[in-house]
Amino acid sequence: MEELKKKLLAYFTDLTIQIHDDYRMCINTQKETVVSLLNYLKNMGYEHFALLSCIDWIDKGEFELIYILSAYMEVCDKYQEKEQGIIIIKARISRDDAKVISVINVFENAEPYERELHEMFGIKFEGHPRLTPLMLEREYEIPPFRKDFDTLKYVDNTFGKIPSIEERKANYERT
Amino acid sequence: MPKTSFLNPFKAIKYLFEKPQTLKYPFETKEIADRYRGFHKNDWDKCTGCGNCADICPNKAITMVEIPELPNKPEEGKKNKRPQLDYGRCCFCGLCVDICPPGSLTLTKDFLHIHFDKKTFTFIPKDEKLNKETYKAEKEYSIFTASLSQRKEYYDGFSPDIRYALFKPDRIEMPEIEPDERKLSFIEQVIGYDKEQAKEEAGRCLECKLCEEACPAHLKISDYIDAIYRDDPKESLEIIYEDNPIPSICGRICMAHCEDACSLHIRGDSLAIRWLKRYAADQIKNFKEELELKPGKPTGKKVAIIGAGPSGLSLAYFLRLQGHDVVVYDELSGGGGIIRIGPPTYRLPLDAIDKDVQYIESLGVKFKFNTKVGRDIGFEKLLNDYNAVFMGIGNTISFSTRVKNSEKCTLALDFLKDNKIGKQRKVTKNIIIIGGGNVAMDVARESIRLQHIQFPEQQVITKIVSLEGWDQLPATKTEIEEAKEEGIRFNPSWGPKEVVLDDDGNIRGLLCKKVKSVFDEQGRFSPTFYENEEKFLEGTMIIEAIGQRADFSFLPEKLFKRLEFTDRKKIKVDANGMTSIPGVFAGGDIVNINMDAVTAIADAKVAAEGINKFLNYD
Amino acid sequence: MRELELFFGPQHLGMVGNFSITLKVEGDRILKADANPGFLHRGFEKLMENRTWMQNFPLVCRINVVEPDHMELIYSMAVEKLAGIEVPERGKFIRSIYCEMARVGSHLFGLWAYANMLGFDTVAHWAMYHRDLLLDLFEELTGARVYHIYLRPGGVRRDFPDGFTDRLVETLHKIGGKVPDYNATFFENSIFKKRAEGIGTVTREEAIRMGAVGHTIKATGMKYDIRKIEPYDAYDQVDFDIPVRTGGDAYSRLLTIRDDMIESVHMIFKLIDKMPKSGEVYTKTPNPFKWTIPEGEAYVRCESSRGELGLYIVSNGGEKPYRVHFNTPSYNHGLTVLEKALVGESVSDVGNIMISLYVVAPEIDR
Repeated sequence: MEELKKKLLAYFTDLTIQIHDDYRMCINTQKETVVSLLNYLKNMGYEHFALLSCIDWIDKGEFELIYILSAYMEVCDKYQEKEQGIIIIKARISRDDAKVISVINVFENAEPYERELHEMFGIKFEGHPRLTPLMLEREYEIPPFRKDFDTLKYVDNTFGKIPSIEERKANYERT
Repeated sequence: MPKTSFLNPFKAIKYLFEKPQTLKYPFETKEIADRYRGFHKNDWDKCTGCGNCADICPNKAITMVEIPELPNKPEEGKKNKRPQLDYGRCCFCGLCVDICPPGSLTLTKDFLHIHFDKKTFTFIPKDEKLNKETYKAEKEYSIFTASLSQRKEYYDGFSPDIRYALFKPDRIEMPEIEPDERKLSFIEQVIGYDKEQAKEEAGRCLECKLCEEACPAHLKISDYIDAIYRDDPKESLEIIYEDNPIPSICGRICMAHCEDACSLHIRGDSLAIRWLKRYAADQIKNFKEELELKPGKPTGKKVAIIGAGPSGLSLAYFLRLQGHDVVVYDELSGGGGIIRIGPPTYRLPLDAIDKDVQYIESLGVKFKFNTKVGRDIGFEKLLNDYNAVFMGIGNTISFSTRVKNSEKCTLALDFLKDNKIGKQRKVTKNIIIIGGGNVAMDVARESIRLQHIQFPEQQVITKIVSLEGWDQLPATKTEIEEAKEEGIRFNPSWGPKEVVLDDDGNIRGLLCKKVKSVFDEQGRFSPTFYENEEKFLEGTMIIEAIGQRADFSFLPEKLFKRLEFTDRKKIKVDANGMTSIPGVFAGGDIVNINMDAVTAIADAKVAAEGINKFLNYD
Repeated sequence: MRELELFFGPQHLGMVGNFSITLKVEGDRILKADANPGFLHRGFEKLMENRTWMQNFPLVCRINVVEPDHMELIYSMAVEKLAGIEVPERGKFIRSIYCEMARVGSHLFGLWAYANMLGFDTVAHWAMYHRDLLLDLFEELTGARVYHIYLRPGGVRRDFPDGFTDRLVETLHKIGGKVPDYNATFFENSIFKKRAEGIGTVTREEAIRMGAVGHTIKATGMKYDIRKIEPYDAYDQVDFDIPVRTGGDAYSRLLTIRDDMIESVHMIFKLIDKMPKSGEVYTKTPNPFKWTIPEGEAYVRCESSRGELGLYIVSNGGEKPYRVHFNTPSYNHGLTVLEKALVGESVSDVGNIMISLYVVAPEIDR
């Protein structure tokens, strides 16, 4: 992993890399670099796109995109450092102007992940062919996984206030 | 790749001739596993109403409802609230069972409930003892009628197990000095928690707040414990100061009614609330610099307080925060009152008392020490000069047994007072202490220390003679245990008959008689003896520690006559803490029957509000 | 011929689970498939942000109905990693045995679904019956048949009951004794072979490109298994093999599942032999009402019965998780692999392909 770190630092300029003891490599980068970085790592053998996630840091007004890569291996009886490693790439984007370039061209299976983040966080992935709702039936004013989406308020507004047990008991007794 | 053929499946035909594996439900039922997580059952006798189950429930299926027919005894840590389940929300995870401190909540193997009425799905679980018509015996039970009101008795499934409980039942042990070492000197016995220990101990608190209702002064215990857990002793102390201005004292000698009520106490050790309070007080080296309390805006009213004991100190603090001018009179040379002379140094060093008193003084309370009301200043002058007067004089005169030759004996309070703030008493090698309360324990443990100091490396004996039997001794269990560890011998159920003197008039020993019973049928103190069953105890010094009374000699006679007393010989006060004399308030040991520091603080809180009201109407 | 749009599921006889596929067909051939999940979206990840660390643990198992155990495992692993909690040795073995039982149960369930889909009702009933025997064991161990709520952060909730391992071995022998019957009626049945061989083929390259995991990639000959790559619990202490096939089609996938199941049973026997006979089964976690976990993030993964299961979890130092994201194997299989594998196949094979990929709809929706 140290070797890969050296190579990455030589190739890219705007990376900060930490290596944790359990074969986790954490790369902080800019959103513009993500596509080329993923491409580079894919050619280095990190072919398995495991997860694309997003964290809403509402206090800082930022979304943090998390790309997690790992490697496939032919035979797992002989471990190699590369094959156990997991690379976590983080890029922050502004919350108000949540736009980022899609990585579908690099990893095909990023497609549903990007679709999901689009509907749950309202991030626009440029170059994505179908940014239609995946799980939900419609688009919301505030995308539901953002931290400022109040689930209780939503439930109250959508389904009406759910009465407490005491209130319900009183209601039953009345009817 | 295996060889395939379409004829292979015909091998399965043999199963046609085998017994079917399907159960003919409901005529044939399966044994349900012992850990099955079905409907709840709650032992109401064990349940304390602490509400931990409702707090942990991830689905908020549990609400605590008040059961009016149950007794509400918050001072014992028992509330009359019981959990109510909503089976529309319950997910049967069993977290409520694992968190239940008394272990009263159990899941059973019952899981059938069919009803057209939705409200039957919210119900309050009980158990077989209380609800006989619901719980049917094996032969009466049938799954055709099974429901929440038709259940099988003793059908427990997922049960509480202290080994797998979500809380920690065992207390972090308090580091103490070993008995053999501590009996040689007056060094403070309890060392006190360090930061890690305090944090870990504070982390055991379940925040059920049973303790807060049990505490006479209603301290916000779970909040200040939580502040200690978050490693913020300053905030913790600030919370304590809202209700208790003597944390260093209470952190050492409080009777800790809260710990008796603690819900962890039932199946484990209660939380060390007192030691944690002491930790918070000890962590802050200088109260004045760290705490940001300010006296209130001056009101121009003046209050005199007689006695700088716990009630007097607390009242002075509460009134000062309101902005009144407060003067405290005490005959001793420092603050603390009975606390200053009573608890021996190994339990409560003078530094700890002075720390609290000095902080109260720094808020602007005036202390007039070495001033005895009635001797140095008249009580009537106080009544004239001040808008209100508070008596927190405590019980300062020891009773004597008044048996033959008892005038040769030493009185407990004089003995303790001299040792703590005067000149150490000379003791002999063989001491007898009469009494079984906490004062007697203090005297005995102090005696054995003095003996070891004055007669180093020699055989010394300290005995306790008490009317009460082992299980009736009024002293706390820990005190008795610690006294035993230090080598004090107990003679329970013996009453003094005569102090025996030798020819020179010196004490030779105590003649005792066997006790028949201590209390009469109504539970009043009225000892009876077997007069002919006698025992002689050798001893060259006898100390009487059988109780104390208050000294009202400072009151002019015509005022004393107006003072009303209760049946238990306590001063009668109204809801505002005022005595039958207008403008004269009272609190502490002369008013309450608990006779401890924290109840005195509670009295002071009542009196502070009463005085406030009294002064504003004036 | 005319192109038609065909809505396949969620209310379709050939569909297992709350899942729908919009097919574009020409005659019997599928030209394009659009996976359409979301009929079961419960917002678990959002819900977990509003519950304390301890309250989340009865919740996570509900993400997957078929195999709740690995969900519990992955959540516990993530919390343990964030909070730095070690699991005692016996606890690790119990966890591994429990997860292997779950794998066998889950594969039997998958076999039921598959056989049922193809109309092999006899085999389907056997599989369901044998899974039931395992559920009895789960009930004995954990107190519930489906949502066990047994693995907790720090270890497991209760130790094995007395004599549990004996009954477990007995039950596994009973199930294992039926393998020849399963083989004869199903795996070596030429009707099954004809229905499954060459159907829904995913080549090695395609599988890698589309991020396939679990038996889908094992059926292309790759020994990709998290239990070996990143051993957790007690998996580094036992010797086991990873069965693979090379066909890449539904037939190979089903045989991989069968072999994996047999391997799991053998592994349970080995784990029972090696398990410490006594000892703690869990590490005491802090008071649930005061439990805060230091700021940090963790990505943990384990091998569920359908493949690599990951969890990305972030704590901001509070009493609740700040962000939770489950990376479930069905997500890739159901939304990427399935869409590609269906193209060019016949409508009658949609269920066949979908279940052979072992797509579990609740896991996609979360």
